[in-house]
Amino acid sequence: MKFSRSKVSDEIPTSSMADIAFLLIIYFMVTTTFTATRGLDFAPPKEDDNPPIIEKEDSVLIEIRSDGSLVVDQRPLPLGELIEYLKPKLERNPEKPVIIRPDPSAPYGAMVDVMDELRQGKEKGLKEEVRISLPTQREIDALWF
Amino acid sequence: MLLRARLTTQASIPTASMADIAFLLIIFFMVTITFEVDKTQVSLPKTQLRYEVPKKAAYVSIDQDGRLRVSSGEEMSALVPGVEDVLSFAAGVVASDPSKAFVIKADTETEYRHVDQVIDALKRAKVEVIYMLSVQETIDTVGG
Repeated sequence: MKFSRSKVSDEIPTSSMADIAFLLIIYFMVTTTFTATRGLDFAPPKEDDNPPIIEKEDSVLIEIRSDGSLVVDQRPLPLGELIEYLKPKLERNPEKPVIIRPDPSAPYGAMVDVMDELRQGKEKGLKEEVRISLPTQREIDALWF
Repeated sequence: MLLRARLTTQASIPTASMADIAFLLIIFFMVTITFEVDKTQVSLPKTQLRYEVPKKAAYVSIDQDGRLRVSSGEEMSALVPGVEDVLSFAAGVVASDPSKAFVIKADTETEYRHVDQVIDALKRAKVEVIYMLSVQETIDTVGG
């Protein structure tokens, strides 16, 4: 009499693992959206009981007109010449604050351009980081007028 | 006369490491994936300096017409009627996490007064750090 012994494979079937893995890759590739997650940062000043009184004359005032052009200390100035203009002023007094005051109808991008330029001051020849001040309209109305 | 035995080569592609490579790719995508909490279509300003926004930062988006949307970074952004709503939203977020970063995602052509009101609201809510979302300015765009 003949007995037939049934053979049971002791291997784990892994042939479909690559297929599953590639399906997961395709899922992640399709759902991933490459979004802009970088930008310019700034820290609003901390609430101070006795804020220093800054006169307009003790600072550099950068006004941004509605067409995006700059007026620095009452003088029109192109953005490319801003750091050169600031150099002698900030060498005499590195603590001198630079106030950005955009016109309410100015494009937001113009303010970001100025902020970007000032933040690169040290790389463009200034000795210290520029002390940038970005007062809001409410703060300007409350402090200066 | 002895004839040399003919060599037979097995035609097979080694696929044993394919699953390893695939899983490495999966891990890469899982680590780098960021779920977009705000899908407002805006044209972001271009800057040369850009710093990484912390994960789970809260978002305030402003489109070209000044419409405002807010998100705490955990859920999709929602439209809010006015800047006072941004203030109450930001105050609530800061109350639960005082060091929470806020991101302003505004269209480069939007009027500054909209952004000014949002910055003012965030300052009043005692937000510690604000990011202004931007895209990389390349040499071509600098040169004009």
